Amino acid sequence: MSWDSDTRARAEEIIVRYPQRRSAVMPLLYLAMAADGKLTDEGMREVAEHTGMTPAQVYSVASFYSMYKRELGEHLVSVCRSVSCHLLGGDDVLAAVVDETGIRPGQTGAITVEAVECVGACGGAPAVQVDYELVEGVSPAQARALCRWLLDERPGFVIGDDLQARFGGQRSFDWGPAEPVGALGPVPAFEPYGTTGGGA
Amino acid sequence: MSETVSITIDGRTVAVPAGQLLIKAAEDAGTYIPRFCWHSRMKPVGMCRMCLIEVEGPRGTLLTTSCTMPVTEGMVVHTKSEVVRKAQEGVLEFLLINHPLDCPVCDRGGECPLQDQTLAHGPGESRFVEEKRHFPKPIPINDLVLLDRERCILCARCTRFSEEISGDPLIEFVDRGNHTQVNTFPDEPFASYFSGNTVQICPVGALTATPYRFRARPWDLEAVESTCAGCAVGCRVSVQAAQNEVVRLLGVDVGATNQGWLCDKGRFGFEYLRAPGRLSTPLVRGEDGELREATWGEALDRAASGLAAVLSEHGPAAIAGIGGARSTNEEAYAFGKLLRSVIGTGSLDARVGDGLDAALAVGGTGRIDDLERAKTILVWAPDLKEELPVLHLRVRRAATELGATLIVVHPRRTGLDPDADHVVHYRPGDGFSVLDRLRAGADDLAPVAAALAAGPVVAIVGRTGLTEPPDLASAVAEFAASLPGAAVLPVTRRGNLYGALDMGLAPTLLPGRASAEDEAARAALADAWGSPVPAPGRDADGILQGLADGSVKALVLLGADPAADHPDRASAEAAVAAAGFVVSFDLFLNDSNRGADVVLPVEGFSEVEGTMTNLEGRVQKVNRIVPGPGLSRPAVEALDDLAARLGRSLGGGADAMAKEIALAAPAYAGITWEALDWGRGRDGMIATLAGGAAAPAPAVFQRSVAPAEGMALHLARVLYDEGTMTLAGPAFAPLIKAAMLHLHSDDATRLGLAEGSTAVLTGSRGSTELAWTRDDSLAPGTAYLPFGLGVSVGAAVSVTVAPGDGSGER
Ligand code: SF4
Ligand code: SF4
Ligand code: FES
Ligand code: FES
Repeated sequence: MSWDSDTRARAEEIIVRYPQRRSAVMPLLYLAMAADGKLTDEGMREVAEHTGMTPAQVYSVASFYSMYKRELGEHLVSVCRSVSCHLLGGDDVLAAVVDETGIRPGQTGAITVEAVECVGACGGAPAVQVDYELVEGVSPAQARALCRWLLDERPGFVIGDDLQARFGGQRSFDWGPAEPVGALGPVPAFEPYGTTGGGA
Repeated sequence: MSETVSITIDGRTVAVPAGQLLIKAAEDAGTYIPRFCWHSRMKPVGMCRMCLIEVEGPRGTLLTTSCTMPVTEGMVVHTKSEVVRKAQEGVLEFLLINHPLDCPVCDRGGECPLQDQTLAHGPGESRFVEEKRHFPKPIPINDLVLLDRERCILCARCTRFSEEISGDPLIEFVDRGNHTQVNTFPDEPFASYFSGNTVQICPVGALTATPYRFRARPWDLEAVESTCAGCAVGCRVSVQAAQNEVVRLLGVDVGATNQGWLCDKGRFGFEYLRAPGRLSTPLVRGEDGELREATWGEALDRAASGLAAVLSEHGPAAIAGIGGARSTNEEAYAFGKLLRSVIGTGSLDARVGDGLDAALAVGGTGRIDDLERAKTILVWAPDLKEELPVLHLRVRRAATELGATLIVVHPRRTGLDPDADHVVHYRPGDGFSVLDRLRAGADDLAPVAAALAAGPVVAIVGRTGLTEPPDLASAVAEFAASLPGAAVLPVTRRGNLYGALDMGLAPTLLPGRASAEDEAARAALADAWGSPVPAPGRDADGILQGLADGSVKALVLLGADPAADHPDRASAEAAVAAAGFVVSFDLFLNDSNRGADVVLPVEGFSEVEGTMTNLEGRVQKVNRIVPGPGLSRPAVEALDDLAARLGRSLGGGADAMAKEIALAAPAYAGITWEALDWGRGRDGMIATLAGGAAAPAPAVFQRSVAPAEGMALHLARVLYDEGTMTLAGPAFAPLIKAAMLHLHSDDATRLGLAEGSTAVLTGSRGSTELAWTRDDSLAPGTAYLPFGLGVSVGAAVSVTVAPGDGSGER
């Protein structure tokens, strides 16, 4: 019973969008993460109760997808290791992050570090994400500076454009339409579920 | 259904049922396609890729999984082509990338599909030299089953079983890619009554069960087919023994009954056979009042002289017999013959106050397999999951897979509720009014009544609990019989109660379900036996009463423990203690025979040959594979020796009794041991009713009602109770939960019971303190107490707060 009444109400709002309760399992898992800062056993039990699944079934879904985190530091640094980034020095960026933070990929200290597959910024490789906000054209030195900043300043939240300006290099699609409010903003025709913790 | 298509398998054209899966069609046509994940009783998933074959199509020949491919007219299939061979080699090479080669220490080694199919279809060598993945060696996923994730080939048989068949999906695949593993939720074990089935169907040694683990190598096992005696479903089993000890039971797939599955109690409940308390020598009461060991001769002499003394002083009516519900038909028959013909008493009963009316129990018209065709199923009976577990699986299958409408009527939630279309919960005692309103199609029950109008209807009828009077079940059965296309299955739990009743172990029944009230029937039996057959005497309740008031002096028990089994424990105990002379044939000392004058150790399950009759009247063979311990003997022989000492032999051993049964009980004619041991008879034979006898007795039912004051008590069994099977074997010890009182939240509030406090349950036979829990599936004003966990307070119940439990003062 870890969810407060607001979270429960939000869960019900999400569930009614689906023909079956259990179909809401994935957005509810995000909700559980938002409620506890990471995915806890208690959170999964809540999701199970709301969807009519067993906790084992919820656990099965949650552990299949890498974006449901059972361990999470204050920030999540994801370094791309797929082919484009790899060719343009992504490995060195990852090494710099590990060295600067002392945290190995997949591990959590004050922050969480992970190596991920293509984050869709191949044109701006090597790419890094902080809390799923994108920074492109990152050099090893910039990656170090980024990590230092995260560890020293402990910012409450990060904004992609800001990160890009401070720690990024060459961007992929400068000619693309500017996204006014970052990746967390509303995408047309797709209402946010408000599961990212910030309230959308 | 009967439509066929013709397909060509490896150049041979065969006719197979249209729409059938290729893997099954090929197997039935004589071509075995290797497989891991496909199981004939579960839906296909196509996960392991072992069943790849080639199918010719318009765009050329295609490698495809035969377990997901339905046959179509003209299909041309190759199962042994070069491409198929390469595919099979590839699949096995991949499966062995991570599978540890620890066959020498693996329980499955020697009977492992992975071993066997690698031998038959594997590449012989692997190109992979990398380190295999590692997991901590076996982790318990519940108290009985261990999981070795390194050995798992991720076929999903176990996880699919838990979801599709048993309906408790508490094991699942977790993590992804190379890390994928089967596991439970952290701290939430695979608490299933059916977990042992996953061990049996796992195609590798990933799942093992503690009772069998490391106890034998498969090639050293001896096996015999038999029938589980754990409850009245009568699941078909293969009993396997090593060095004269039963080490495991496997389910045998009989379509009409268990379809391959067993419950954990039946599967793992053999350990009691070798439990430390098992009797291995006859006991007689010495002059010092203590039981002491004796020879068979001495013990039988004592039993005979004690009974003879009562006979000569008080006549045969002063002797009575209880038991037989856990025995074979042959033993039950011999017991009945000893009592009726040799001793001359008509007081005998296999029920111990927990059964159905005898006429109802033997008057069923349904078969378990009727569930396959049912449109509507009415379950107004014990919680099948707790009492007749594999029947629960069959009903579940009908409701979830076959689309039947399921109606459950019970005083509280049952294991079937999650799969039911209509659930009616009622306060114990209100059963008759529910039935009346159902008959009348009352508003709230109108949808239920409407569903019942769609036949064929299968009605599973029994007493929902031990406090419920048997007359309600009889009334429900009568109502159910009037439903369209009705098949009524009267159910009660104990192993061979139906067989015992068929053998005449009720005062009103003679062997073959003839009425004992019928003089002609008695005369016919008297002719066959060459001795008079007494008129009906007392039933179990009457016998206990007679013992208490002194009109019954001597009691003969055959594998019965009325003191523990009777719902009114205290008076049953007192009655048995009051008996002047008690002879008990049993495997253990128990509450009823600890005070006996003579205790004779008899052989039990897997130690004797004979037959048993399940709840649908199916007679099946039970077989011997191990000897009983020490001096224990087959009960039939011991009964015969006692009879001989009383003046007249019963006429031989179990095989002789079997032949006699066929004569004395026309319903059993043709059901011989030979017929049951071979061919189709192995699946059992239905004993058809003799001359239209014993339909549910249309009687004027005594309409019991709930007490106006106090709480109504619902007393019902749970699977893991403190019975012989569960207590004596170590496997179940951790599964027996302490008795807890269940109350509706409203009552808890009204009574001022605080969370975690102790309640006092007071009944006519005393009162007891115990923990309580909320159960809002109960009607307010009802207390539910699991039976057989050592708590017994009699009828008429009230609940109060435990003194000194200040948490709940009000
Ligand atoms: S444990 Fe056995 S049955 Fe379950 S997925 Fe693994 S190999 Fe299959
Ligand atoms: S359901 Fe009954 S007969 Fe079947 S295995 Fe379980 S105890 Fe034995
Ligand atoms: S490969 Fe790194 S963003 Fe696509
Ligand atoms: S048996 Fe067909 S894929 Fe496993």
